[in-house]
Amino acid sequence: MTLVAEAFVSQMAAAEPWPESATLYQPLKEDQILLSDCASSLAVQAYLRMCGLPVQVVCRANAEYMSPSGKIPFIHVGNQVVSELGPIVQFTKAKGNSLSDGLDDVQRAEMKAYMELVNNMLLTAELYIQWCDDATAAEISRPRYSSPYSWPLSNILAYQKQWEVRRKMNAVGWGGKTLEQVYEDVNQCCQALSQRLGTQPYFFNKQPTELDALVFGHLFTILTTRLTSTELAERIKSYSNLLSFCRRVEQTYFEDKSS
Amino acid sequence: MAAAMELRCWGADWGLPSVHSESLIVQAYVKFSGAKVTVVPVDWTWKTLTATVPELLCGDSAVQEPINILNYLRKQRFNADYDLTARQGADTMAYIALLEEKLRPALLHTFWVDAENYANLTRPWFASRSPFPLNFLVPSQHASAALSRILLTKGEAPLHGIAEVEGKIYSDAKECLNLLSYRLGSENYFFGNLPTSLDAFVFGSVAPLCKASLPSSPLQSHLRQLGNLTSFCDNILAVYFSPDRPGPPPPVQDTMDANLQKLTQLVNKESNLIEKMDDNLRSSPQHKPHRPDPKPSLAREQSSTPA
Repeated sequence: MTLVAEAFVSQMAAAEPWPESATLYQPLKEDQILLSDCASSLAVQAYLRMCGLPVQVVCRANAEYMSPSGKIPFIHVGNQVVSELGPIVQFTKAKGNSLSDGLDDVQRAEMKAYMELVNNMLLTAELYIQWCDDATAAEISRPRYSSPYSWPLSNILAYQKQWEVRRKMNAVGWGGKTLEQVYEDVNQCCQALSQRLGTQPYFFNKQPTELDALVFGHLFTILTTRLTSTELAERIKSYSNLLSFCRRVEQTYFEDKSS
Repeated sequence: MAAAMELRCWGADWGLPSVHSESLIVQAYVKFSGAKVTVVPVDWTWKTLTATVPELLCGDSAVQEPINILNYLRKQRFNADYDLTARQGADTMAYIALLEEKLRPALLHTFWVDAENYANLTRPWFASRSPFPLNFLVPSQHASAALSRILLTKGEAPLHGIAEVEGKIYSDAKECLNLLSYRLGSENYFFGNLPTSLDAFVFGSVAPLCKASLPSSPLQSHLRQLGNLTSFCDNILAVYFSPDRPGPPPPVQDTMDANLQKLTQLVNKESNLIEKMDDNLRSSPQHKPHRPDPKPSLAREQSSTPA
């Protein structure tokens, strides 16, 4: 969206309160959704729950195509559609709900930096493992991604998506990495997060912020998703404070959800 | 102990040791950590096309990409991050990710994609530093790589063109510069009194934007308003890259009040540092840095100057 359009949307957003009928769209949970999309979607759900904003989760096979930016998840609130955590945070801020108001400038800088770390390392690693690792791509990613469609569309879409993701990995310099190097990067990222969290309940002490939602979304999804190997989950399990952080957020905000 | 190390990078201009952002990062880190590395510019050689710049050659091994080069230097015990706590190390990783995600696309756009800048500054410079006939190939190769990187990471190619993502990447970059400015505050370096790898990354990314004479750049004018970032770059250039001083000398003594205050602060911090260093030496950790030790001499010099 251009800057002018964004400003206009936030003006309109500020005018109305959060409706009861807000919905969040994601691909089909059982058959279609992949690790990276599930992580992003869970991050947004956690953020909305932390803000106390009710939202219904609706699964659609063509969620990716409905989204304005092509990324999952997106929310439909009133007559606006917003996708991805960053814009959704700005949107809720325009409506008067924000988790990071109490932070000063330096803390906000740190929070944004750590969010970029998660996006840069964890999300890219998830995409790499799903689409650039041949075993995972053939056994899990391609079948799942194309499950709602019949042959030959399923083949075409799956290979197209794989080609797109591989191009992107090459552009950011991850194309030449081996799986071991990717696991090592995830390990370093988790180590950084673990050191930043320390013994606090949340990253910025008492109150959760969007960083907590993002980290929870990614870590919880990695821990609970079955891949071809458990290497990734094992790396995270070695950091006990991250595990207890996930458990704490799950119990506090997702207790009533029967998953 | 190590074989002679050679660093291949783009040449110097605009008051900087190198105009190429990534080469500048590595050169800054080399100075901060005191590594003995000879800098070999690739200008006017065929390496402009064939080599991935920057590249560190040591004996038989060649390392590319700034992050890998810095890791390699750390393993060779040239470690500028030796004094950082674990939490500061984690912060370093996070801020480097912030620079990569938010600032890098806009920098690539400013230098390589923006038509006016590319035609008037970047292409002539790189073309003049490449031998014939590479001067036709090298700039356009870099430009198309930059464009595809921006589109692939920031826009859903082929749905979006460059015009749609431009606004977003520039606003992200301005926000990133503001965040760096808040984090730096009024300090000389990001962590304490000595520069670390984060300072090298920020310097390498920001200095070309600061010093290049770009015909049209709203980002550059935004950066010039952030006084502490521009003085951060100037400070590093003066202390580590000025031609008449070979190594990291003591900070230049001005007669202005603000600097005098900074000096008194430094003196106090320096004495704490000496105590900490003493403890470190006594407990003798595994990897000691090879950096030449300026701390005791700094303290001695400064304790004689305050009025």
